[in-house]
Amino acid sequence: MSISQAVEAADNGSGSEFRRGVTSCAPVLFGTIPYALVLGAQATQKGLSTVELSMMTGLNFAGGSEFAAIQLWTSPPHIVLIVAITFLVNSRHLLMGAALAPFLRDLPRRKVFPALFFMCDESWALGLADARQRAAAGITPAFSPRYYMGAALAMYLTWVVFTTLGAVLGPMLGHVETYGFDMAFPAVFLVLMRGMWTSMAAARPWLVSLVVAALFYLFVPGAWYVAAGAVSGLVAAWLMTGDA
Amino acid sequence: MIDVATLLTIVLMAGVTYLTRIGGYVVLRNRTLSARATAVMEAAPGCVLISVIAPAFVSRNPADLLALAITFVAATRLSMLPTVLIGIGAAGLLRHFLG
Repeated sequence: MSISQAVEAADNGSGSEFRRGVTSCAPVLFGTIPYALVLGAQATQKGLSTVELSMMTGLNFAGGSEFAAIQLWTSPPHIVLIVAITFLVNSRHLLMGAALAPFLRDLPRRKVFPALFFMCDESWALGLADARQRAAAGITPAFSPRYYMGAALAMYLTWVVFTTLGAVLGPMLGHVETYGFDMAFPAVFLVLMRGMWTSMAAARPWLVSLVVAALFYLFVPGAWYVAAGAVSGLVAAWLMTGDA
Repeated sequence: MIDVATLLTIVLMAGVTYLTRIGGYVVLRNRTLSARATAVMEAAPGCVLISVIAPAFVSRNPADLLALAITFVAATRLSMLPTVLIGIGAAGLLRHFLG
């Protein structure tokens, strides 16, 4: 959006700020729907009930970690493995929260803590970009909580509703492998990684992870390949960066 | 129906995820991270995601490998929806025709 639009929006009431957030999030929502349906359908294949899946997407609300958890899901689930992987996949939130923090300085903590529950890649990116634009245009406060919450709640509702719908419809599809639906996982993960891509050098740890995880998968029984791959990639990232 | 182990896993997942969401705001807002710590945190999500899908890269089924290669190329240039559709389509068709 242009700066004049931003100024106009800031002058309007709180309801229009919320609507502005929902509207700017709309294109992302359409991309999220198929991804949510696939997660729901895959979860029922792994033996989760619809209620369990809705609880997961509603309480955790972090798609990448939910895809990873479902992929690794067994009955009973390997709790330590899944929780550790969830933390690693979502560790990017730490950096995201730190980047957003300067804009949240004037907000009371009782508002910040609930708002951060809804911080996902999309609502964070939209909220931060909007705050930077408004700051550049001289609008104070730069961060618009209602704009952010509009985008965040739209994402939240879409995610929970469509993952649930996927779980309801999943059993009607039968075995997903027959149709190639399982390829949705690599597809989703590769697109997510493309979004994280900064440079070849920064991606070298990923290659280390891939090779180590593949070797562990081939030669070590059990689901250790994920932990082994992830940890060796992190060690590689540590070693490849000079301490500043 | 809700299984106890499943419920516990979900609650713990939700707990650590919320900690990552507030952690940056609470702990990191007044600090500068070392270049190494930043590099590790930036690499982490990708390292985990590629590790989770690593088995697909060493599949013994040629149809799966070819479908993965097609999906990989799609992922480098297309957005989420077309990539997922191409991946599913390629895997379904190649498995059907190549076995």
